[in-house]
This record gives sequence, C-alpha cells and structure tokens, in this order.
Amino acid sequence: MAGAGGGGCPAGGGDFQWCFSQVKGAIDEDVAEADIISTVEFNYSGDLLATGDKGGRVVIFQREQESKSRPHSRGEYNVYSTFQSHEPEFDYLKSLEIEEKINKIRWLPQQNAAHFLLSTNDDLRINLWHLEITDRSFNIVDIKPANMEELTEVITAAGFHPHQCNVFVYSSSKGTIRLCDMRSSALCDRHSKFFEEPEDPSSRSFFSEIISSISDVNFSHSGRYMMTRDYLSVKVWDLNMENRPVETYQVHEYLRSKLCSLYENDCIFDKFECCWNGSDSAIMTGSYNNFFRMFDRNTRRDITLEASRENSKPRAVLKPRKVCTGGKRKKDEISVDSLDFNKKILHTAWHPVENVIAVAATNNLYIFQDKIN
Amino acid sequence: MEFKLEAHRIVSISLGKIYNSRVQRGGIKLHKNLLVSLVLRSARQVYLSDPCPGLYLAGPAGSPGAPPQQSWEPPQQTREPQQSREPAARPPAGWGEPPPPAARATWQEAEPQPERPAAPGEPRTGGAEPAAAVTGTGDTLLGGEAEAAEAAWRRVEGPHKVEGPHKVEAGEPGVPAGGSDLLPEEPRAARRHCCCPVGREDKPGAPTGSRRADCRCASRAAEDEPPAPPPVCPRKRSAAGAGGGPAGCPVPDSTPLKKPRRHLEEQPGGGDEEEEMETGNVANLISIFGSSFSGLLRKKSPGGGLEEEEGEESAPEAAEPGQICCDKPVLRDMSPWSTAIVAF
Repeated sequence: MAGAGGGGCPAGGGDFQWCFSQVKGAIDEDVAEADIISTVEFNYSGDLLATGDKGGRVVIFQREQESKSRPHSRGEYNVYSTFQSHEPEFDYLKSLEIEEKINKIRWLPQQNAAHFLLSTNDDLRINLWHLEITDRSFNIVDIKPANMEELTEVITAAGFHPHQCNVFVYSSSKGTIRLCDMRSSALCDRHSKFFEEPEDPSSRSFFSEIISSISDVNFSHSGRYMMTRDYLSVKVWDLNMENRPVETYQVHEYLRSKLCSLYENDCIFDKFECCWNGSDSAIMTGSYNNFFRMFDRNTRRDITLEASRENSKPRAVLKPRKVCTGGKRKKDEISVDSLDFNKKILHTAWHPVENVIAVAATNNLYIFQDKIN
Repeated sequence: MEFKLEAHRIVSISLGKIYNSRVQRGGIKLHKNLLVSLVLRSARQVYLSDPCPGLYLAGPAGSPGAPPQQSWEPPQQTREPQQSREPAARPPAGWGEPPPPAARATWQEAEPQPERPAAPGEPRTGGAEPAAAVTGTGDTLLGGEAEAAEAAWRRVEGPHKVEGPHKVEAGEPGVPAGGSDLLPEEPRAARRHCCCPVGREDKPGAPTGSRRADCRCASRAAEDEPPAPPPVCPRKRSAAGAGGGPAGCPVPDSTPLKKPRRHLEEQPGGGDEEEEMETGNVANLISIFGSSFSGLLRKKSPGGGLEEEEGEESAPEAAEPGQICCDKPVLRDMSPWSTAIVAF
C-alpha cells in the first residue's frame, strides 16, 4: 500500500508503513549531558531493550505481553530495571579522567556455548574475555606501534561472526576491515581477509580520511555479509569479496559539500551506527535533524523518517521526509542549511524478528513499529 | 588561491582542536586527534605547496616549505600517473569548501575589503592571508594557482607523504623556499604596505563586524587567537570553549619557536634564524602539530629526522605560562608522543 509521499519502506516483504509507538525520556529542551543516550540494543529475543547513557546508567525495558483488550497493539516496552553501571574515575597517575559513558551494550546469547565477549574500548587493542574469568583476558589484536609516532590508524569497531565463534572482524579509522580467525594464531595481528575499497580520487578532499573512517561494523544475521558505516555512507560487504563492497548506500550525500563546516563544529567526528533487520533485507542508520534512514536491499528503495515529538501520537504514521539538495525547495522538504546538526541519531536498533525499531535521539528513545491493518 | 585560503583556515581550525583536546573531559581522544592531524597534514601540504610568492609564510630555513616529492605516485591513482605540475583535471568539485566569491574578488584589490559573509570560521584571522604579495602579483598568479594547487593536492594523497628536500625549479614562481633568501624581497616590502595598521591586533571573540577579516597581514597571523564560534553552524562547544586557548597564537617570545624548525627530511643548518617571528610562527606551528604522527609523514622505510621532530613538540608547552620551556636537547631525549601528551 502506498502512503503519502511514497509509502513506507518495504522490509521483510510487502509494503508497510512505520508508526509511532512510544517515546521514553524527558521532553525538556535543555538536555543534560548525562542523559544523552549512547547505546541501544535489543536482546536476542527482542523482549528486552537496553539503553546506556553518558552518565553511566543503564535502563532495561521489557516488553509487555500483548493485551487481550487491545489485540492490535503490540506489547509496549516499559522500564524493567535501571542501574548505575559506571561511575567517573580518575587515573591519578596519568592525570586522565575515565569517562563513565556507556559505549556499548551487548546481550549475551543464551544458547551459545561460547561464553566469550570482545572488549574494544582501547583504540589499539582487542581483548578476549571468558565470562567466568574476570582477572585476565587474551589479547588477540594489538596494533599499538612500538613508537607511537608511527601510529597511522586505530581500531574503531569490532564484532564476532554470528555463527563461527572463531571469526571476528575489526574496522579501522582508515576505512579498512580485517577479518581474523582465532584458530590461525593466538595473536591475530595478521588478518585472514582484508576489506578495502579503493578511494575515488575525484572525490578527494581535506577530509577524505575522516569521512572514510568506519564508525560501526555489523555482521548480517546470516553471517554472509557485513555492513560498515562511515560518515556519509553505509556499505554492505560480501565476506567472499575483499576488494569492494557489494552495495553502497548514500546516507546524506548532500553533506559532502559541507564537510569543512562539519569539521569545524565537530559533527564530522560523529560516529553513526547501523543495523540490520531480522531478515537482512533492510538496513537502518541515523542522520541529522533527528532523521533516520532505511534502505531496502532488494528493491533498492529508501526512506527517510524523523523521530520527533510532533509525530508522537500513538500509532501515528510517520511521514517520509526529504532533504532538498538544490533547486527549488518543494513543500515539506527541508533544505540542507536548515538541518539541525545538534539533533543527531547515532544509535538505532532493530528487533531481531519483528518490525519494531528503537531510535535514540539525544536523550529520548523512540520506538516505532509497522502498522498493522 | 582559494585552496590556499581554505587550507590556511583548516590549519587554524585544526590547531584549535588539538589545543582544546587537552581540556576536554575524558582525556585526549586518540582517534579524533589522529584524524585532526591527518587533516592538518593535508592542509599544510596544500598550503605550503601553493606557489604564491609572499603568501608563503616562510619559516626558518628548512621549515616545512618543501613540497612533497614530485615523483611520488599514489597507488590507486586512476588519473595519469605523472606527478607533473600540469594537472590534467581541474580541482575536483566536491573538494573542500571554497570561500565565498567575495573573497576571490578581494585578491585583486589592494584596498581593504568589506567582510566576507559570515561563513564558519570566517572571522578567524588565521584565515587571513598576507594580501600584500597578492596585490602585486595576484593577476599573474591566478592562472597558475589552480593548477599548482591541484598538483599540490594530488601530492597529498596517500598515507605516507614524502617531503623531500625542497628544490626550486625554474619557471615556478613563488615556490616556497627553504629559506628566506629565496623569498623575493618585493612581497615582503609590499607586506608592510598592507591594509592593516601596523601592530594592530584583533581582539579574540570579537564579532564579525569589527574584525578585519580581510586583513591578510602575515604579521598578524601569528598573534591572533581563535575567533568566536561561527554564527552559522550550530556548534558543539567543548569544555574549554572556542576561545579557550591561543591555539593559533604562539607566544612571540617563546624560545623554542624561534629556533629554526627543520623539516624531517631536510638538512639542518644554514637556516634563517632571523626570520621574523610573525611570519614564522604559523609555519612553525604547522610543522609542530602536523608532526605529531610522523608515521603519516615519513617514508615507509625508517628515515632520519626523528631528532628534529622531538623538539617541535615543545611549542605548546612554551605557550603556557608556568610550563616547562624545554630546550631542544632535553626534548630529544623524550619520546615525541610523551612530549605531546605532556604538552597537552
């Protein structure tokens, strides 16, 4: 079914539209830094949804059972638990402050025999932890040069393969991804596969390195693909092809001519995440002005939606948004210069099975779901 | 010419970021500073490679005025491989943010210009150029600027830029010289006749209206402080604020800055130590901050020049009152990164 402005983005088969479901968080215009959400993650069943914020707090939402009185509305997410996970620390020796911000939450797979987790808080090392051994870990990647002067890149993201527990990938600030197999050696400094797309020389600028830095990497649920996010685009890679991605989606190409301003106001350093839907047929990522984008990999259609309080009526259908990139601005379009770069959606999560998404907009968590007729 | 202006502006912005990173909560962010130094390196090379006599802020001899090696070819270059000074293509369209057209027009004139529209970073006098030299030579230069900037830009590509010893080639006007002896006297004399009254300084944080953004005195470039945040873009303020520190403002009397800064690959000695502080400081700062990650600058094979670099990290320290003002020999014994961290 087609809605106004082109309808929803078909994902998982069939056209449907996204509707507002819930929003969590204060409405205040004045947002406290500590309340800014820094990570969002569904658990493996989708019944639990966790957020972490810059203040070191974790909030876990649990989905209510579908009620008989309102059979058409899916279960709502309500607060299940909240706790202070991290406190600010100070390293007196190095005179460094250690932030309490929650960088990442990962739910443990309940049925996976491999109870390991990767920690990549350090820019230069990846450690492997056994869940039952808390006083030491394996260092499996170390790219710290003997002389820090020689440093040319840092690790930006990492993740385990969903099925092959010995395989993991990590991305770098140079826009490369390395796939490593822990069976090959204890220290995985030498990669099994190296993914890099050649740079397009015609688009070179002062900021080419910054915008090619990968901010997020995610395996598909199938384990056959992985997705990377850099500043302007999302790329889908086939693990069997290292020399270029199989799909590239431009998230907000209109920002390419604004890179200098974005460098000046630090927006160019924003680290956007990306996520797959349950069937790997669609991908989602955030942008500015509280916009977020979805791309259907099969139909190649895309949609831009906005998380805003104005569209927060229960079951209100989200209207597709459009950024005017030049020429006459149509009604309902927004020009690039009018975008609010303080309102950015960095963190999004897609329910592992259903079409329910959680979108973090600064200090608010929006939950949207597909419309059921 | 606009590339040079843009590069200069980007250098100033980058220096400000590096300076402010020291006071941001959570400590120095390695990733961000690495990216900033990459931008700084690119901007620096474009800026210093642009062959405009007088516009080049000549540092002491051997400072990073040497253009990158001509023979370097980026591995994935799809255009013609020859790194000649005659580029085949115009500068790419999406390349940086050219300044508003009003700025270009001002290059032609010797009179003080009305302010350019308030673009981000515009009021920054770090973005100002020494106009004096341009006034006399602007016309003749403009034709070759775009080409030269393009050639310079292509040299920037790749992870390991090689900046070999500078060679002045015949027929190349205004090539940044290793020393002031190569700098034509004319532009320097002309510089003194620029639009700004001598010795005038801009106040930090002054609104655009009162700023002589058009002033391109090289002599003032070093004395200026980071401007107020640009009015156009919504801007995230760091804890230190935009005017938090004299990122682009080295202490004029600081000893380390007065010492000749050699480029990594250049021969030390035989420099011009008497280079005026005002013109040398920006170039010095560029070399100082841009060298934080020498792995990005050096050839793949380990080369010399490490010693030269160690001393350069001291500049930020010197700018701080009460901080240790390290001498070069002392700094040689410290790892540059430690020095930078200490400085920050």
